Amino acid sequence: MTDVSTSNGVAIRTPWRPRWLAVVGIAAVVTTALTVWLGLWVTPPDEVQGNLARLLYIHPAVATVALYWAGGVALLGSLLYLWPRTRAFFWDRLAASAVEVGAVFSALTLVTGSLWGRPVWGVWWTWDARLTSTALLLLLELGYLALRRVPADPQIRARRCAVAAILIAIDVPIVHFSVDWWNTLHQSGTILDPGFNLHVHGSMLWTMLLSFVAFTLIFVWLLAMRYRIEVLQDAVGDQELEVSLSERWNEDAELVGVGGSGGAVDGDEVRGP
Amino acid sequence: MSYVDAGYIVAIGGSFLYGLSLFLRRRRWERALRVLESSPEERPAVAEHP
Repeated sequence: MTDVSTSNGVAIRTPWRPRWLAVVGIAAVVTTALTVWLGLWVTPPDEVQGNLARLLYIHPAVATVALYWAGGVALLGSLLYLWPRTRAFFWDRLAASAVEVGAVFSALTLVTGSLWGRPVWGVWWTWDARLTSTALLLLLELGYLALRRVPADPQIRARRCAVAAILIAIDVPIVHFSVDWWNTLHQSGTILDPGFNLHVHGSMLWTMLLSFVAFTLIFVWLLAMRYRIEVLQDAVGDQELEVSLSERWNEDAELVGVGGSGGAVDGDEVRGP
Repeated sequence: MSYVDAGYIVAIGGSFLYGLSLFLRRRRWERALRVLESSPEERPAVAEHP
């Protein structure tokens, strides 16, 4: 472990390697393997959809990560960064990490949904409210990631991105309630109806719940890995600045030496050979 | 390949590939940090930047 000072003056320890991350990774692999086994071989085919219902052990869990987990962490991190009392670059990094993971899962949601829609609805894509608002979510997330790459002072960048994440979060309830607010091809709640009655039972229900656990664990692992890269990026940026300043300092010192002053100017400290 | 198989491959394979990309990106940034933290004599002429 190395202590590195960041641009905001807070020392961070890098590489950041929490022990629980390995445990989460192993649990994610085990639960995902169990989901695949139960989903493809153990659970019976659906009465109406046949084997196509097996896609519902995957798609809603992926969508839950994209929408609620990633969206929730991004919103929470951004609000806590904007709130003066809790302002810390930790929240900005966490939100940025959540948005990137969310963008990947939004894309996976659209692709897995499309793979289910083609045989069931007869189309790969339709401008349905649920599908369109999910595509908008992906576009907003990509916009956030582009905004993050615009060179700026770290504090300005963090503030801009926090505002962008709040805009992303506005789309989350629109995606959620789209099936209630508009007439959509997409069905309403997969597990519960608006009256909180269960649609799914028995081994199908347990497999679906296990898939939610598996993809939540995958999300936590990916989020932690992505956060670690954010920490490293900041540390490298600061070290580069330090190295550049030190090299500039040495060049100046050499020029002073060549100029025949015979030593350091008052107040200047000549470092290095 | 059925739609079901394709869906499982996309969801799980996509998550795995993204995880792998994060692992490789992390290694590159760690290497860059190690290079920058080393003394100027140990540092290569052109530091590799991820």
